[in-house]
Amino acid sequence: MYGWIWRHLPGNAWVKAFLSLMLVVAVVYVLFQYVFPWAEPLLPFNDVTVDNQ
Amino acid sequence: MRVVVRTVSELCITVGALIVLFVAYVLFWTGVKADTVMDDQIDRLQSQWSKGSVQQPKVTAGATAARAELAPYRSGQPFAIMYIPRLGFTWNKPVLEDTRVSTLKKGLGHYANTAQLGQQGNFSVAGHRRTYGDPFKDFPKLRRGDAVVLTDGTTWFTYRIDKGPYKTVPTDIEVIDPVPRKSGYTRPGRYLTLTTCDPEWGHSHRLIVWAHLDSTQPVEDGKPVALRR
Repeated sequence: MYGWIWRHLPGNAWVKAFLSLMLVVAVVYVLFQYVFPWAEPLLPFNDVTVDNQ
Repeated sequence: MRVVVRTVSELCITVGALIVLFVAYVLFWTGVKADTVMDDQIDRLQSQWSKGSVQQPKVTAGATAARAELAPYRSGQPFAIMYIPRLGFTWNKPVLEDTRVSTLKKGLGHYANTAQLGQQGNFSVAGHRRTYGDPFKDFPKLRRGDAVVLTDGTTWFTYRIDKGPYKTVPTDIEVIDPVPRKSGYTRPGRYLTLTTCDPEWGHSHRLIVWAHLDSTQPVEDGKPVALRR
């Protein structure tokens, strides 16, 4: 999987490393901005009220 | 065969990294976000108050007569700041109307169908024990006699805790009744109820404290005794 990505990135090793880093940053951003905020309420830490009002 | 092993191990590493990131998000990042948002809410309140656009009429010290025609709190909007010296001298959180998940991310939530601040009835507030800034992390440290101070921009309200952390189940809705069951109060009065979850990281129970209104004073008179040092 990661090898496949590496092979398909353009440029020499430096460019590839830079692009990989960008990809990682983008993935982390999407996770923190969209995926985790969606997943977090599914955990029990939000239940602080009585009768879920 | 090699491809299969490689793919599986890559997947395992990915899932592991994902879990670590998620834990970091829940433990750390929600706190960072909440601190910013709560500071924002407090700033909004203070600039509102400094402009003098407080909706509620002024109360004189010791006034106990029912105030006429209080404007209802607006859903999801901050309307007061809470101080609890026992939780830390610098501990202060905005109180917002309603207890939706999105509201509780921004501060403490006032149960929408309970009494307004300082009024006859039970002013009930819920807050996170953990995550989103851990506002009620030290909830079990609250003791009888501790002060819970709130201000709505015109008046300081000092409540005194009467019954320390009481553990109950999430369906026990009677704890926020005007005269809460099990609180020891027998007559109608001006009460305050705080609720949070228990155990710290779980949701099987709730912790409750009850307090009664001890004193009020206009903001012009300076901070109440409980907040002075």
